[in-house]
Amino acid sequence: MSAPAGGPSAGPRLTALDRAPRADAHERDENYQPVFVNARRKELDELLTRYPTKMAALLPALWIVQEERGWVSEPAMAEVAAVLGLTPAYVKGVVTFYTMYHQHPVGKYFVQVCTTSPCNVCGAEDVVRAFLKQTGASDLGATSPDGRFTVIEVECLGACGFATPVMINNEFLESVSADRVPSIVGALK
Amino acid sequence: MTEGKMISVTIEGRAVQVPEGTSMLEAAKVAGVLIPHYCYHPGLPVAGVCRMCLVEVEKSAKLAPACATSVAEGQVIHVHSDPARVARQGVLEMLLINHPLDCPICDQSGECELQDYTFAEGRKDSRYREAKRFNPVEDFGGDVVYVPNRCILCTRCVRFMEDVAHDPVLNVSERGDRAVIGKFEGQDLTHPWAGNVVELCPVGALLSKDFLNKARSWDLDRSASICPNCTQGCNTALESRDNVVVRMRPRPNEDVNKYFLCDEGRLNYRWLNRRDRVEFPHIRRGDALAPAGWDEAVEAAAAALRGRRVHVVASPSLSNEVLFQLAQVIARLGGTGVFRVRQGPEAPLDGVPGLSLRADRAANVRGAELLGFRRTETPLAGLANGDALLVADEELAGADAASLAAAAATAAAVVVIGTTLPSWAMRAAVMLPIANMAEEEGTFTNVEGRVQRYLQAKAAPGLARPGYAAMGDLLTALGDQTVNVVPSDVFRALAAAHAPFGGMTYEGLGLRGATVSAQAQPAALAAAT
Ligand code: SF4
Ligand code: SF4
Ligand code: FES
Ligand code: FES
Repeated sequence: MSAPAGGPSAGPRLTALDRAPRADAHERDENYQPVFVNARRKELDELLTRYPTKMAALLPALWIVQEERGWVSEPAMAEVAAVLGLTPAYVKGVVTFYTMYHQHPVGKYFVQVCTTSPCNVCGAEDVVRAFLKQTGASDLGATSPDGRFTVIEVECLGACGFATPVMINNEFLESVSADRVPSIVGALK
Repeated sequence: MTEGKMISVTIEGRAVQVPEGTSMLEAAKVAGVLIPHYCYHPGLPVAGVCRMCLVEVEKSAKLAPACATSVAEGQVIHVHSDPARVARQGVLEMLLINHPLDCPICDQSGECELQDYTFAEGRKDSRYREAKRFNPVEDFGGDVVYVPNRCILCTRCVRFMEDVAHDPVLNVSERGDRAVIGKFEGQDLTHPWAGNVVELCPVGALLSKDFLNKARSWDLDRSASICPNCTQGCNTALESRDNVVVRMRPRPNEDVNKYFLCDEGRLNYRWLNRRDRVEFPHIRRGDALAPAGWDEAVEAAAAALRGRRVHVVASPSLSNEVLFQLAQVIARLGGTGVFRVRQGPEAPLDGVPGLSLRADRAANVRGAELLGFRRTETPLAGLANGDALLVADEELAGADAASLAAAAATAAAVVVIGTTLPSWAMRAAVMLPIANMAEEEGTFTNVEGRVQRYLQAKAAPGLARPGYAAMGDLLTALGDQTVNVVPSDVFRALAAAHAPFGGMTYEGLGLRGATVSAQAQPAALAAAT
């Protein structure tokens, strides 16, 4: 008998899964420790009750990962995809879209200096240079040799009247000038 | 959308009526006007991201994206007015700032929408003086390589994988001028239909590895054809260069395959170029087969068959026309006709109901059934003592030596028609070489009973002839008076003789095909069976 007209026959089906056996990527990495266990799992479950779909909880779920690990690794993206029923490719697209998710490890203190035009004319470049010098980070985006600091430039932090604003992790500092930088960094060491 | 309500619009001065809800872009097609576009594709959900389709609408303050705007009653749309052209020129200039324009080494060249529209309405030169962004070529797995520098981020590929294949392994990574198409480490474009992203990509960013650097598109000859690799009957274009098939691509048919072709079908064309073809008719002389002329060989075949019942083992990849001629031979002599079908795993394209790589890996299984051939796993089993055995383009691969020897002993004579000469066929009394499907025209009947034409794409080697013509001559030699050696004539006779095909004409099939009547019952092959 031939296959019934109109519909695929009930035979063996060739699917993408057959061709590329794809254990979830995070399961392939033996050393990977899942983020969403115990308290973090509870936190996520509680979060999911506040969104209409699991997909909608993607951004906060990624924040949990970043809080826990400091950055979002590929295996972590795969884990998020698995718990939210998305594909790793989709999660990666979102992670890479937003600059605030770190795709590489960063220092314990993540220093963001506004260098957009208003702050720039008020000397933001000097502030950046001072941070690089004091922390020992070799360049923007690079982490200091002691692993404690990463310095980057950001666009307008919304405090143009208080140039130069700096965010260190979740702390917001206003009116930072180059000469204040040594004491700020010193206090963190 | 109200059912049946029609909207009148004027596009480039041409008044047309289209159903309510039609996009401006589709309405323009009705008016015979092509609105340039990149992200829009009729087989994909509308994204509206490229802005290439901007058109001017009278009494509207802003230009409208034609792909994502439905027509409204009385609208007057200008595609080639200055504001629309200037806007699209701006879009093109933006698309080209980071584009390498390496057309001389780009496989897409000659069939590239970026080239075409830039030539048609782009700027003469670029005002961009900065360094261009660079990203390395990436292997996307399957048959696909990604050249990010050429990508215009239309997201057709992402939408195909997500909305049609339901296997969303592609994404847009990063954003702004850093954006590229990405995939997740370890997850490749291995979906059985993933190769379609190569056709969907309007530029040379997604390329087929199989076709990479093989030919320039303007050197290719293209013929409308049907995929010979399963019973779905996807419409294809066979592309050849210097008489060698180098690529098989989907040809749109809303009723069969939309715009798509599976990877297995797409990449399985090399057998059409086999070099081990038989180029001359052969006749047994003593212990060996010796080359002969067609007249002599046909006469010898007729002599071998005359007065005997015939057991025909036919390939279900032969056209309706060849199978019909074979059925006529059986009808004259009495006997049986059987075929067997190579099997493979089924692979549906989830987003298109009814479209699937079918388990039956031959194009004309349904046609063979409707013409009275019987499906079997043991094609030699029905051979009775004293019968003639006629094997038609079936290599009997996998049949064990013992059963072949037994068959040869049982058969009073063996006649082989085909494209190649397998070792068992050395026992044949006569071998008649025929064209393969790329070298002739004909029709296949697909799994849904749709009869579809395919055209010739290249020349047959040596003296090989289309099977319908060779069998027509054989029928004549057997005393048949109705000499049918032209495919349209053979089809007319077929339609007259077999009720399911009743009313169809070869010309009437066009390139879209027609469906056999729903109650179609297989014919009884011959009174003698
Ligand atoms: S994608 Fe088109 S425009 Fe770009 S290099 Fe290839 S042929 Fe040329
Ligand atoms: S790879 Fe091709 S189809 Fe995909 S986004 Fe780029 S240009 Fe479009
Ligand atoms: S420009 Fe620096 S805070 Fe707005
Ligand atoms: S085709 Fe209309 S926005 Fe891309």
